[in-house]
Amino acid sequence: MRAPISATLCPPPLTASVRAAVGRVHDPEYPGVSIVDLGLLEAIEVSGDAVTVSLVPTYGGCPALDLIGDDVRHEVEAVVGVRSCTVTWLRTPVWTQDRVAPHAVSQLEREFTVTLRRTDGSLVCPVCGSGSVRDTAPMGPSRCRSLAYCDSCRNPVEVMR
Amino acid sequence: MTHSWTNLDDFQTYIDGGGIVEPNDRMPEEFRSEVFRFIEFHANSELMGGLTERDWIPRAPGVRLKQIFLAKTQDEIGHAHLLYQVAADMGVKSRTEMLEDLFEGRSRFHNVFHYKAVTWADQIAIAYLVDAAAFASQRAVFAECTYGPYKRVLKRIVAEEGFHMRHGEEMLLRLTEGTDIQRTMFQEALDRWWWPAVQLFGPDSDPDDPLLRWKIKSQPNEQLRHAYIQKYVPLLQSYGFTIPDPNLHFDESADDGKGAWVTSEIDWEPLIATMRQGGPDSRRRISNAAANYADTAWVRAALEATAVPA
Repeated sequence: MRAPISATLCPPPLTASVRAAVGRVHDPEYPGVSIVDLGLLEAIEVSGDAVTVSLVPTYGGCPALDLIGDDVRHEVEAVVGVRSCTVTWLRTPVWTQDRVAPHAVSQLEREFTVTLRRTDGSLVCPVCGSGSVRDTAPMGPSRCRSLAYCDSCRNPVEVMR
Repeated sequence: MTHSWTNLDDFQTYIDGGGIVEPNDRMPEEFRSEVFRFIEFHANSELMGGLTERDWIPRAPGVRLKQIFLAKTQDEIGHAHLLYQVAADMGVKSRTEMLEDLFEGRSRFHNVFHYKAVTWADQIAIAYLVDAAAFASQRAVFAECTYGPYKRVLKRIVAEEGFHMRHGEEMLLRLTEGTDIQRTMFQEALDRWWWPAVQLFGPDSDPDDPLLRWKIKSQPNEQLRHAYIQKYVPLLQSYGFTIPDPNLHFDESADDGKGAWVTSEIDWEPLIATMRQGGPDSRRRISNAAANYADTAWVRAALEATAVPA
């Protein structure tokens, strides 16, 4: 007998609710931006009522990992049907900027004046859209960002790296 | 599109209509110099604050706290870096001139960085109380902030400071749940840091303060200070600590009958002393910052050097 269509085409419902719960966790440095949209979520494993969420850090030395882990556990354990949630931080795969969802890129640009390097290495100003952005310092206020400056609109810009 | 204004009234109308001033606009000189001074003060405070955090990296108990203090140091120095850029761009002083003025004791920074952090509990009092006061005042600037580049930088600073506050709360809770010795340590730190934190907001604002009129600040100092006291008195008391103010009381009739915590008359002399670099630790802090700048000259030289073809 063939399996019912819903079982083959849809993920088990608990996985979907856990995924939604992880998506409600925001990056503490970018309030309003989901960690799922930043590409931190790698895998969800459900075994009965125990859930393991595997995440990828943008930077290994990121000081927010514990807070993000606590927030994820808190959200996931609130999902009906989940008894416990374990969060693991993976060493591989390595986070790269192409894991960031397009709408999160525009959120970062519009709301935080933080941009990502284009594939050819160039920078575009998130404030005025000009290409006259130059790197100013390899270390920004955060492990995951460097500093740049737009010569056209004269705004400091930060670049995720 | 760049803006220009024929006079200050014209400029005020633009501000009152929700306008934001950008660096390429022909802003009034009065606005330029006031906003510059304010951002320079903020930049100096971030730098001096970052150096305070740095002092505690080797002494932080445990590798996790060292990691947090390393990251916070990078945050604060990075904020200073951004703010000096925005300030220098206003064309009043170059970045080097601002740094030289700071290290020569000719410019100002927040009062709280003129005191000595004696024990690890002081560092927690700073993370919990002082950062919260700085956060409240920065958030109130961000709320309106009519100078575009400053507002954009503040957006990120405010998000990061909010994150630091969670660390501060976590560290305080750990100490609160600790031994009597740890609780006594925090009480002693609170005795040292309560008044400097309250004084950070400054004396009551001049009703005619141009920074309020031009919507760089969104609220007068006394309002921010009042809200801070209302939040932190009950919190600290709920953890079982005593606010070092014998006259502190809850006045049922204050705030139009809603009731409010009322402190003793605030003595502004300590704050004024810090503004003249006469705080208890001003001299050491400034000379350490200057020595640090001199020690790292080779890094700046290396970054600016261009490769010579072999």
